Amino acid sequence: MSTQASTSGSVNEARGRRSAEDVEDSKKHFRVCRFIIDTGVKLGMRSVPMATACALYHRFFQSASLQVYEPYLVAMSAIYLAGKVEEQHLRTRDIINVCHRYFHPESEPLELDGKFWELRDSIVQCELLILRQLNFQVSFEHPHKYLLQYLLSVRSLLNRHAWSRTPIAETALAVLKDSYHGSVCVRHKPQHLALTSLYLALQTYGVQLPRGELEWWQVVCADITKAQIETIMSELLQLYDMEAKCT
Amino acid sequence: MERDLLRQSVSYHGENLMLLLKCEQSENPDFKRVAADLSKTLNQSVRIVSEAHAVMPPLEQFMEVCFEERRELFYRDVERGDVVIGRINSVRDFGLFITLLCTAGGLERDIEDLEIKALCPLRCVPSTGNHDDPLSYYQIGDLLRAGVKGIDRYHEKLTLSLYSSSLPPHLDKVKLGVISKEDLPLHYTYVNVTADSSQTYEKLLESSLGLSNPLNVDYLLGKLGVSDTQTPSLMRGLQSKHFKEDDFATAIRKKQSVSWALKCVKVGVGHFKSRRYVEAMNEYNKALEIDTNNVEALVARGALYATKGSLMKAIDDFELALENCPTHRNAKKYLCQTLVERGGQLEEEEKLVTAEGLYKRAIVLDNTFQGAAEALEKLQLRIQKSLELKEQEAAKEQEKTKTVETSAEKLRKILKEEKRMKKKRKRSTSSSTSSDTSSTSSDDSSSTSRKKSKKRKHKRRRSSHGSKKHKRRASSCSDKTVDDDIEWFPAPANTSASYIDQKQSISKLISEGEQSWEKSRCEDGRGRLDDAIDRSLENLKHGAQSEASRPGRPDVNGEVTDQHRTQSISECARNRRDSSSTQSEYSQKSDRYSKEFSLQGRKRSESERGGNEKMDKGERNSHDQDDGRKSSGGSLKKDIPSNLLDIFSQIAEFEKEKKLQK
Repeated sequence: MSTQASTSGSVNEARGRRSAEDVEDSKKHFRVCRFIIDTGVKLGMRSVPMATACALYHRFFQSASLQVYEPYLVAMSAIYLAGKVEEQHLRTRDIINVCHRYFHPESEPLELDGKFWELRDSIVQCELLILRQLNFQVSFEHPHKYLLQYLLSVRSLLNRHAWSRTPIAETALAVLKDSYHGSVCVRHKPQHLALTSLYLALQTYGVQLPRGELEWWQVVCADITKAQIETIMSELLQLYDMEAKCT
Repeated sequence: MERDLLRQSVSYHGENLMLLLKCEQSENPDFKRVAADLSKTLNQSVRIVSEAHAVMPPLEQFMEVCFEERRELFYRDVERGDVVIGRINSVRDFGLFITLLCTAGGLERDIEDLEIKALCPLRCVPSTGNHDDPLSYYQIGDLLRAGVKGIDRYHEKLTLSLYSSSLPPHLDKVKLGVISKEDLPLHYTYVNVTADSSQTYEKLLESSLGLSNPLNVDYLLGKLGVSDTQTPSLMRGLQSKHFKEDDFATAIRKKQSVSWALKCVKVGVGHFKSRRYVEAMNEYNKALEIDTNNVEALVARGALYATKGSLMKAIDDFELALENCPTHRNAKKYLCQTLVERGGQLEEEEKLVTAEGLYKRAIVLDNTFQGAAEALEKLQLRIQKSLELKEQEAAKEQEKTKTVETSAEKLRKILKEEKRMKKKRKRSTSSSTSSDTSSTSSDDSSSTSRKKSKKRKHKRRRSSHGSKKHKRRASSCSDKTVDDDIEWFPAPANTSASYIDQKQSISKLISEGEQSWEKSRCEDGRGRLDDAIDRSLENLKHGAQSEASRPGRPDVNGEVTDQHRTQSISECARNRRDSSSTQSEYSQKSDRYSKEFSLQGRKRSESERGGNEKMDKGERNSHDQDDGRKSSGGSLKKDIPSNLLDIFSQIAEFEKEKKLQK
């Protein structure tokens, strides 16, 4: 009994430790993803390449450990690789410049010396590492195109004045972009994510859509249930809470 | 006609192909057999759409919103200026009644089964030309596209119009009126499809090509009005106000490039100081590659050019540097110095006006620069002197010309007639003003020459004659183009270098001149002389201009001289130049340049070129000038026709007598 208790206690402890680690890890991931998105904006990346970079990062660390690999280096390489995959090529020089300034605000740009070339080499090496870790499967299907199609269809349902009054499109896209701070982006189908973002946006503004035999979201995505939408929504909202904790 | 293959291609391409086949192949018995099958295939196929994004039928339809609600929503949301498509169901004398099929712009709704009726009154139907009654053009069952003109939401009445003025500006390209089935909007076509095959929204979306378009995200973002690089975010830390301009990649890159370029420039300056000019230039060029328009690099390179002697390149670099940074002290200083140095060079070449311009600019740039002010003063004195001399000369010339014998006047009259004849064929160029300057320059040269050796007075008179004629011609607005010469002088004359021989007898020259004259038309003889004189002065002007105004562009002069087909004329022209130019280095230099360019451009025999070079060398060596002058005078005689030659010799004799009298 005592051993059982002790083992269950130790299991609980371990579980507790693990969840504490998980929490710490997810905070770390949040910070790194914030770094990725921040850098992406400064590099002028479009939404889809930025999403690819975050997705690459999350998938990498699904199977790798934070203790072994430096997350910021992985993030920089993920940005570089995502630029190549999504046809918005970025120069390593720009990536290094922006990242250096992120960590050393208001500093002078780096000199083109040995240290610079070493940094560049490490990015390129890490890129190859990411490719191998992900089995070279680096093309993702992102929710963006689905979300935009759904937006068009929903727009036709609404009165045009109501549409122009409420920033539904911007909000839905913002929610989608913010969802990349967490691993929710790689754990659900892109259609579901798109749908949930739109659902969240509509609910935020209290927009009423006409009702038929089916709800609009049932039409758009046949295999989703209300419960699933709710789950994803809560995960998305948790990310906003985490911002307060992490930054 | 293979049935299956036809069916495959018709179902792919749709009704267009069907129509074409029907038109072209109606006689073909094979086709008739399969035609029936094909029309069936057509009805079943769905037109493949290549759109930037997937075009979906209205969501209402999938949602199966009930009849009442759809009707209500339609009447709530339809606005003036929307485009609708309907079928005419009755034609009355006050208008058309239409049952709406679908919406075509503005709204996207499923309204076919709502049986919404609208009226298009008579006054909103445009007349269709031949028909007196516009309504007779329309028949029951026609598909009509119309714009919504008025809505009565309470009574659920719609008024339509077929005038495009009823549409908003962004839709005014839409054609209103009778349409065919092809013009039906895509989402309506899809409606029919889904009704048959009960496809879900999802399946339809997945199957559409537009979804696989890699650029559909960008396109749709644009359509919805959201920027892609500045997408909004709800996170507090990602709001746009937190991003500083300096942190962006382009800003950092620019700063980095500037500092890298400066490093290269420093290394280059080190090379420059140790007199390793080639390495220094390499470093500067490298710096400019990294960062174009880098001010320091441009200034350093300009200094290097100035030291090596390429003053024009140096000036260009300094100017560019000053454009980018107008307050750069070194750039200004170096530019002043280079301008003054360049002005000095030009002064030696007698390009006094240009030199003056440069000095003035240098002073404007930096009015504390002593060297510029002094040089400018010296130059202005010199110009003044030359102007005074010119005036004296002009006065003397005026006196002399009044006392010339009638033979000279005869010549002038002849020449005037020629000029008038040719006036119609001449194209006006902008050379009238420059011909004035050239005449002044030639006057200048002729005036200064008067002070010098008496031997040349003989030729100078002739040159002043020539310049007088040219002035007259200029004043009578006779603008010559070199192209005229091409018309008049078809074949190049045979030439030899024998004219260089100073002891050539005049008779030989005359005979040669006659020979060359026979080759051309008789009446053009005098014209040739005109042309020769004009062209020579034009060459002089071109030479002067090109040197003065565009110091790096010999092409103009080269082109001008290129067009001298007749060698005799060109030689005459060149000799004219020789004779009219005197010890004044200004014109001499222009001669040299124009001769150089004429050398480059002309396709002449070697002997002639050798002759030219000999002539040039004679020119360049000042102690050979006399020889050159004499030979030029001799060769000039060669080209003059016998009657004119007599006149000239008379004039020469007369002037000699005058000289003796003095």
